[in-house]
Amino acid sequence: MGTTGGRSVAAWTARAAGVLAAAALLTACGSGSDDETSGDGDGGSTTLSLWHYYGTPDTPTGAALQGLLDRYEEEHDGVTIEARHIPFGDFTRTLLQSAAGGDLPDIALINGFTTQALADAGVIQDLSDRVEEWGESDAYFETGWETTQVDGATYAIPHVADAYAVYYNETMLAEAGLEPPATWAEMQEHATALSDGERYGLAFSGIEGDEGATALVIRLLAAGGDPAEIDSEAGVTALTQFADMIAGGAVSTGVLTWNEEDVKNQFANGQAAMMINSATYLSVLTEENPELQWNVALLPTDAQASTFLSQENLAISTSTENADAAWDVIAWMQRPEVLAEYLPERNKLAARDDVDTGDDPVRAIFAEQLQQAWAPEGDLAAASSEVLTRIQGALQAAAGGGASVEDALAEAQGQIDEALANVE
Amino acid sequence: MTTTVTEPGTANGTTPVRAPQRARHWGEHLFVVPAVVFVLATVLYPLVFNVDLSFRDVGVAQIVTGGAEWVGWENYADQLGRDEFWHALVISLLYTGLAVVVAFALGMALAVYFNQRFPGRNVMRSLLLLAWILPTVVSANVWRWMLDGSYGLVNALLEAVGLVDGDLFWLARPVPALFAVVIATAWSFTPFIMILLLAGLQGIPDTLYEAAKIDGAGAWRRFTSVTMPLLKPVNLTALLLCFISTFKTFDTVFLMTRGGPGEATMILPIYAYNEAFEFFRFDTGAVATTLMLVVPLGLSVFYFRSLRREEAA
Repeated sequence: MGTTGGRSVAAWTARAAGVLAAAALLTACGSGSDDETSGDGDGGSTTLSLWHYYGTPDTPTGAALQGLLDRYEEEHDGVTIEARHIPFGDFTRTLLQSAAGGDLPDIALINGFTTQALADAGVIQDLSDRVEEWGESDAYFETGWETTQVDGATYAIPHVADAYAVYYNETMLAEAGLEPPATWAEMQEHATALSDGERYGLAFSGIEGDEGATALVIRLLAAGGDPAEIDSEAGVTALTQFADMIAGGAVSTGVLTWNEEDVKNQFANGQAAMMINSATYLSVLTEENPELQWNVALLPTDAQASTFLSQENLAISTSTENADAAWDVIAWMQRPEVLAEYLPERNKLAARDDVDTGDDPVRAIFAEQLQQAWAPEGDLAAASSEVLTRIQGALQAAAGGGASVEDALAEAQGQIDEALANVE
Repeated sequence: MTTTVTEPGTANGTTPVRAPQRARHWGEHLFVVPAVVFVLATVLYPLVFNVDLSFRDVGVAQIVTGGAEWVGWENYADQLGRDEFWHALVISLLYTGLAVVVAFALGMALAVYFNQRFPGRNVMRSLLLLAWILPTVVSANVWRWMLDGSYGLVNALLEAVGLVDGDLFWLARPVPALFAVVIATAWSFTPFIMILLLAGLQGIPDTLYEAAKIDGAGAWRRFTSVTMPLLKPVNLTALLLCFISTFKTFDTVFLMTRGGPGEATMILPIYAYNEAFEFFRFDTGAVATTLMLVVPLGLSVFYFRSLRREEAA
């Protein structure tokens, strides 16, 4: 190959590559769409589609749900439920995209906090009449039921509830001669005393995004604060304490990168003496770490006792042709005897007060904690993802980014106010 | 995430090499139709849809039921007035620029190295390509684990040689996090650049190096006076491709930091993703992605211009 030949070949390749790059750039703007046929009546039999984010049937959480659906099918001839798992992070987005494409499932098992957004978007239908006829709404605890309400109408019914409490390593606390903390000041003292350079006193998830706001919201609520008003006395108290615990080594800086599963692993490996987590990990901890001696205590309280609600709701899509059959499924799932079998498998709590889930003391603590659960309402519910993301941002700025507590809170407050003002 | 589409119709017109006569049958154009339809459906339609979206007031309700109101430039004015947008643009440019520089320097060094003949060269080269082939979801998570403060390999190594004392959580601190995503991105782009540059290097005839050697040029002089000038078109291509691919990178950073800590690695693609799919502001998300196109498009124009100059010279 001669010099000129080499150069022109290179130039040609370069040009072709440029075109390819432009094509790649443009295609990157395109968005994918899903093809999913929704269920329809077929002679005497009905096929219902149900979307959820609990996991594929080979995971413990997914298997519990699949078992529940199988039990329904066994009791109801001619009804088939086709479950589809969509990962949590993609769930709401996929529902909205599918709604835009007119391709929704009959039933959606949604995050309780997204009920309002999905109702506003016209993805899920008003169930008020059915619920009134059903007449069981009084059995639900108030905060959980509140997540199903949008402008006075009921758009979903609760499926399961969960709350955050304190898991503690009994061995480590006993060695240090400590009892689970009753106040947040005690929590800080204990966490400091329990950390020794190798392990930390307390772990919680502070990861980027709304998931990482939970612990700070819990602390803020304990101080009598309101998550919509984070730039307040309670906000300063909460964030100052968290920043101090991280700076002082009682809590690892790693919390800013850990999700709840990571936190569970830190606790299971003895890297953290206490953790703030939900009931989700109860049986996992028992099965995977049988030698670990642990227990659960109520969250510390200061001005008020409060925890963060985690709840899934069952909703029926606006485009279903099987609304009656779908309602039958979601109402059946809420029968106390059905829940009594399902909830322990799923490591979740009942959102209603007439379910006998046995006398397991740990579950009893979670159930007690659940009574004090907080959930966003109204405008805050509509903008909860963004508001919680901003609260995590304040934690990050003060604990990892070198900002002062006051600056971090002021910055977050500005963003929260904007997010709330954007709610239509 | 990256989709590279090779289109027979787009690369070099439709001129068949052996077309003898000038007159063409209209039937020939039929062969291009599938390609044109494909490009229209997968490239042009989403692009136009996105631009259209950016001029409307689209919230969560409008995306499902339609009927979004036309608001003209309002969304653009809103975005351009937001500190968060400019912050994301600056972070994007910083991240892309640093990653391209690092990847290019490493890629060039490796290309020059592998341009020599030595035993095991092909095996080594293929192994290096693994970094490029590996799915991002794998590599980004591996980086995340390696950079973890409590069980991460990187921290353990740095601690062993005494550079770090105690747990350093790379992805929890703003500057180390940005540094980390730059390194992770550069790591995956390096083999790609190496391959491109290597192809260019192999097009440079040995005789030129021999002549330079006879003229008394040392290794460095041969690199700066023979290799670099002759490699200029390839360099430009490699830099541009790498810049565009990095500028629109989403997966690596999203998996490693989700744009955090705080907003330290909040690049434009993640900013746009958050606007649309976390906060359900589809209109401002569309504005961000449309504005995101401006930088690579500007670079492409610059690239084609300089290519033409290069050819004319």
